[in-house]
Amino acid sequence: MRRLPAVFLLLVICTYAQAQSKKRAGGFSSRPNQQSKFLDKQWWLGFKAGTNFSQASPIHLYTVMTPVNYALELTDKAYDSYSKAGSQATLEATFYYKGFSFSVQPTYRHSRFTYSNQYQWTNPENISERLILQYDQEQKTDYADFPLIVKYDILKGKVRPYVHAGIFYSLLINANKSVQISGTDYASGGTNEFSNDPVIVGAKDLFDNYWGLVAGLGVNYNLGNVRLVLDASWWKGMSNTTNVDNRYSNDLLSGIGEAPDDLKLNNIIISVGVLFPMRFLGNSFNTLDR
Amino acid sequence: MNEADPAADKANFTRIYDHDKFNASFYPIDIKQTPDGGYLILGGRKIEDSNFSGIYIMKTDEYGGLVSQQEVDETFVNPIGPLMENGGNYSFFCMTSVGLQTQLLKTDAEGTLSDPVNIALSYPAAAAADGNNFLLLSYDNFNKKSVMSVITSSGSINQSKGFAIGAGDAVEEPIINHFLRTGKELPFFAGKTTSGQFYFNGFYNYTLSMVFTNLTDDEPQGVVQGQQDDGGLSQAVQLEGSKFALARFNFVDNYFLPNAALNTSGISSSSELGGNPFPELIANAPVKILRLNTDTRKIVLYGSNSRSTQIALYGYSESNGEFIGSRYLGFSNPFKMAAMVSTADGGLAICGTTYVAGRFPRICLFKLSKEEVTRSFH
Repeated sequence: MRRLPAVFLLLVICTYAQAQSKKRAGGFSSRPNQQSKFLDKQWWLGFKAGTNFSQASPIHLYTVMTPVNYALELTDKAYDSYSKAGSQATLEATFYYKGFSFSVQPTYRHSRFTYSNQYQWTNPENISERLILQYDQEQKTDYADFPLIVKYDILKGKVRPYVHAGIFYSLLINANKSVQISGTDYASGGTNEFSNDPVIVGAKDLFDNYWGLVAGLGVNYNLGNVRLVLDASWWKGMSNTTNVDNRYSNDLLSGIGEAPDDLKLNNIIISVGVLFPMRFLGNSFNTLDR
Repeated sequence: MNEADPAADKANFTRIYDHDKFNASFYPIDIKQTPDGGYLILGGRKIEDSNFSGIYIMKTDEYGGLVSQQEVDETFVNPIGPLMENGGNYSFFCMTSVGLQTQLLKTDAEGTLSDPVNIALSYPAAAAADGNNFLLLSYDNFNKKSVMSVITSSGSINQSKGFAIGAGDAVEEPIINHFLRTGKELPFFAGKTTSGQFYFNGFYNYTLSMVFTNLTDDEPQGVVQGQQDDGGLSQAVQLEGSKFALARFNFVDNYFLPNAALNTSGISSSSELGGNPFPELIANAPVKILRLNTDTRKIVLYGSNSRSTQIALYGYSESNGEFIGSRYLGFSNPFKMAAMVSTADGGLAICGTTYVAGRFPRICLFKLSKEEVTRSFH
């Protein structure tokens, strides 16, 4: 049952592509100048989906735990870059004009990023009095992205690689956070390795909207009159994603010593999808040759 | 856009001051905001060579970041609050670890200590500022008296009067256990009413009592009796005339009386005062009371320790004692209240003890913005 929508979708695409390819004979081919002029422009509408990987880039570090006899740097969080896969779904509306495309691609994006920090307490006079705690924290954010993108087709043919660049604004929809505390306690008469149940909290108040820049490359493959798309892009966050007013507002997180850093969020986004042409003139018309 | 906001960073923060020594133990006693916007915290610490607490002083910046910390020489122990501001310096009392003689210590706004001044009193228990002088409640273990004194800023005793706690070691035992921090933490406090009457909450005539005195007569002018060490007042702050904001405890139960008339002459009993019961607070909870002004009203703010190991704040209208809001601080690890102070930006700073990793006692500091205070107690 789960595969039915995908099978149905594939069927629609193939049927659409087949139907359009049957209309190619005659028509515009006898009037090349008019066809050429017409094909300078095209509207494409479609959707794509895929996966994304996030990198949190700290702007300014914050901590609840404030060392009084050891280096502040030891409280710094160690961020993992592009380690957790998220997902996204995009609607794409693109206007093509003489090799350039201007595209609006509203996206629902679920991203994940992780970091960890470690604390240690020891007694120099008694080596068995030692505790190590490890805090592993995962953030899951849901954003509605609104990118404006310009594409340039490098080649014109059935396979059309392109480069693209643009700007985006991301609206926060939801966020949550889990903190897993594990550790090793050497003071219990042995080596006691333990792991607590993760603390999971809603964290929408801790995040905020942000904007950024997009750059990437992709390739279109013409299948009949349908265009299949594979693209990869790097979304560079240009503003802080942390809500600075609510940094310490979650008592549960503050209580365990957690305060979010100011962050810029970067993403590698990989999507595949399909685009449908919106303009046709006749049976012989082939939208894909320009 | 949502860029870094230093004003927000100052207005709201939470800090836990961690020490990486496994067997280290710290607790705060009082906090004051210094003219640079930072905070000076007087604390105690566990020391190896004495049963009493050592002294710990910490200075933070306006963001709560550590500026300096000092573990004061172990020859001085048993620091007591509050930090009393006088001429840009902050004074507090403690005692020597061997002779148990009271000492007046002074620190500047950066936490730098000057030489101690010896005061011919033992076991300092509570203090308060009185203009340029200091009021000190101490315990005279030789004569078994609660002693109320007026001390000048240079450390001379201006006035002093002792009040017998009663005969027998049983009366003294909870007092000594309080100083050693091995027994019940007793709510000693001292002050002076607007009419010039001195008061202290200490042992008198076998009972923890709030005693009113003119420091001239041998007998108190008024006594609000408790129940030996099982009941009495936890805290009292004068509002006006005979009106006080009170907290009391009675056989583990706690009661708040935000606008109570207190009999400052004659003998009365704290258990007859009634009040709002607070079963959510720990048994015999220590209570701090702060008068606070927001944009909209005058508040009497109570701070104490909840059974859920949070710091609990309760706000009441100063004018009529009406309850107006509550706020709970801390979660995950246990938190205990120590002191709170209004800040120059109209907010509130609360310091307490938290148990990092559920076991290491460390000082914590919560800063609430003016907006948060107003939102919580509107």
